[in-house]
Amino acid sequence: MDLAWPIVGLGLLAFGFGAFSVVISSVTGPKRYNRARLDAYECGIEATPQPMGGGKFPVRYYLTAMLFIIFDIEMVFLYPWAVNYDALGLFGVVEMGLFLITVLVAYAYVWRRGGLEWD
Amino acid sequence: MDLVFWIPATLAVAGALGMVLSKRAVHSALFVALSMINLAVLYLNLSAPFLGMVQIIVYTGAVMMLFLFVLMIVGVDASDSLKETIKGQRLAATLIGGSFVAVISSMLSSTITTLQSDLATETINAGGNVQAIANLIFGRYVLAFEATSALLITAAVGAMVLAHRERAKPKLTQRETSKKRFEDYALAGKHPGPLPATGVYARHNAVDTPALLPDGSIAPNSVPGPMQARGSVRPVDEYDLQEVKDLSKGELVIELDHEGDHESK
Amino acid sequence: MIFLRNPTLDDFGIDPWWLIVIKVLGVFVVLVLLTLFSIWAERRVVAKMQIRVGPNRVGPFGLLQSLMDGIKLALKEDLVPKNAARFVFLIAPVISVTAAFMALAVIPFGPMVSIFGVWTPLQLTDFSVSVLYVLAIASVGIYGLVLAGWASGSTYSLLGGLRSSAQMISYEIAMGLSFVAVFLYAGTMSTSEIVNAQEKLWYAVLLLPSFVIYTTSMVGETNRAPFDLPEAEGELVGGFHTEYSSLKFALFFLAEYVNMVTVSALATTLFLGGWRAPWPFSGIPGANEGWMPLIWFFGKLLAFIFIFIWLRGTLPRLRYDQFMNFGWKTLIPVSLGWIMVVAVARTLIQESVLTNTRTLIILAAPIALLLLLSIVVEMRKKEPEIDELEVEVLANSFPIPPMSAALPKTQTKLAVENVRDSNG
Repeated sequence: MDLAWPIVGLGLLAFGFGAFSVVISSVTGPKRYNRARLDAYECGIEATPQPMGGGKFPVRYYLTAMLFIIFDIEMVFLYPWAVNYDALGLFGVVEMGLFLITVLVAYAYVWRRGGLEWD
Repeated sequence: MDLVFWIPATLAVAGALGMVLSKRAVHSALFVALSMINLAVLYLNLSAPFLGMVQIIVYTGAVMMLFLFVLMIVGVDASDSLKETIKGQRLAATLIGGSFVAVISSMLSSTITTLQSDLATETINAGGNVQAIANLIFGRYVLAFEATSALLITAAVGAMVLAHRERAKPKLTQRETSKKRFEDYALAGKHPGPLPATGVYARHNAVDTPALLPDGSIAPNSVPGPMQARGSVRPVDEYDLQEVKDLSKGELVIELDHEGDHESK
Repeated sequence: MIFLRNPTLDDFGIDPWWLIVIKVLGVFVVLVLLTLFSIWAERRVVAKMQIRVGPNRVGPFGLLQSLMDGIKLALKEDLVPKNAARFVFLIAPVISVTAAFMALAVIPFGPMVSIFGVWTPLQLTDFSVSVLYVLAIASVGIYGLVLAGWASGSTYSLLGGLRSSAQMISYEIAMGLSFVAVFLYAGTMSTSEIVNAQEKLWYAVLLLPSFVIYTTSMVGETNRAPFDLPEAEGELVGGFHTEYSSLKFALFFLAEYVNMVTVSALATTLFLGGWRAPWPFSGIPGANEGWMPLIWFFGKLLAFIFIFIWLRGTLPRLRYDQFMNFGWKTLIPVSLGWIMVVAVARTLIQESVLTNTRTLIILAAPIALLLLLSIVVEMRKKEPEIDELEVEVLANSFPIPPMSAALPKTQTKLAVENVRDSNG
């Protein structure tokens, strides 16, 4: 845990700096109340999808996030294999190849069905 | 007291409680993220740095991000009804949850009493923590590892089924749409440029207000089709019409006063 | 002089507390200064590229410009929109900036040096999975953007936040995969040991495809031009920070530049030999000892920053679908393929089925063939047919020049003459 103390220190320093900036800017800046200025940015009329309280956004982001999880997990399995590559030898390469090919099936399926088309 | 254990442990539990108690769904998700990060710190504490980092990368970075995306996309909010929709759900949840707690605590207590520190990290992590994990994945648990890839395929298929809509027609490229626009112009005389903008912005909701042409007549394309069909186009003020006419004849001059508001004379 | 050696993992975690404080403050100050400097450098360099002068008023060469901009931002009104989720809105920039700074904790700036008589590596800390630590911190940093977008209570912000995070997670995969080959060769995930492993040969040379993939994805990961879609002003106003003003906005800006420094520092560490002197200088005695390596490290780092600026000055922004297609359909499959190539090649060499040169030839041949094939395919791609560009000239009409500028001059002349003839 000794190794982590410098990280904790740096994190606290950065957090303190950020929090201080957020607090201080409410003091140093001028305050001129204006109802329109506190409204969310819009052009002409209110946009239909609202971030809070209903309103629907493209569900496509769900697919992106799911694909990200799949590849993230694959990545996490690749790391220990790569580090211990020399000890695992040919067996490791074959096993990892099998794993990669299976994941590639999922990847090919998603690609083929048009899951990787963006607009 | 071992602060390095108690601080993250307290924060993790606080995160879990906050998740249950907070009203906004996004706040709940944030509390879970807090919990996950503190679990990662606990892993680090137990000399399992690889697992700790993976905990953050996969759970905080990927899984919770998916949750956040979904919450934001669907727009779940405190206004959602808390009424029971499945009968007896609360009772069942309490019973099952309670029995789960009982099982876990009995297991934990028996583990703590029987298992002393024969799991010395020095022997397990000999040759490095990551190497040890690699040896386990590609040794004792190699079948489970390969089965994981099948799980990933299932996840991909599931996501596609839930969230993907296939196109009936292939998507037009920029080149094709622009070609089509000029074909329409050549064959049907359809205007290739953008439609005229809507009318007065400051006085009304702009989309329902038609723009006026220089002669005072209405530019029909300046109001979206659905609004025209619905009949919710705002009629043009007599006053506005007169203003346009006077302006075009030079009988009306708009002067800006020092405040920036205009005053007509 | 026994301490003038490469640091190992045993050298970390034994610093006295005052040394930790000095190092933490040092890293923090260096990062803030680098940010101020790179903002100034960016504006000056881009100005040079556009034949302008750029900021040159405040301080020598305008060097204090960014500092003054920061002070100016502090004196601006601090707005919290009516619809905002107040606490999350305020905490989001702090998350962003904290994550950005923390990532630099594991970057090795140099070898063992003596600070007030204590021998210590010129690096805050290091452990067996420090590269993973950088990835973990980066994934926490994305929260800052998503939350800022959501908490603003504005549609533009939310769309911008979702888009930024979708972009960052897409390129994070390519980035993570490009590390695998490095780990494979170095046999470790600790940054200082990876630098040690590059004593003879930089991984940028040995694993060139990994290096190219990493440098491409690091531009996408930091949302910089030509991948700066979250800031596509024409589509999303200002992206996730549309509703932010004053120092809260400055914090996002700071985080962006610190992230730029982080990914550049990581590229230096993993692929360009870290603090080790580049080839002609490595012959100088003492070039890799003591405080000297700081020069090499920051030289390489600033070179990357310059490339970031250069890219911004040169390339137009990509369209969203082009960008995502590139990440998912090119970078990811190529890096997976490359990982398998490296793994198989190394196995063949280790099992001594083949000698080094033979393996190289066997592996290089299909790659070369593939390259050749792609060039041939590219060359045989049909140019747009001329006939659709041909102009139909009606009698007595205004002479219309052909639409394509690619039409040869003589042909244009001919067309114009034809028109003249027909006009009589």
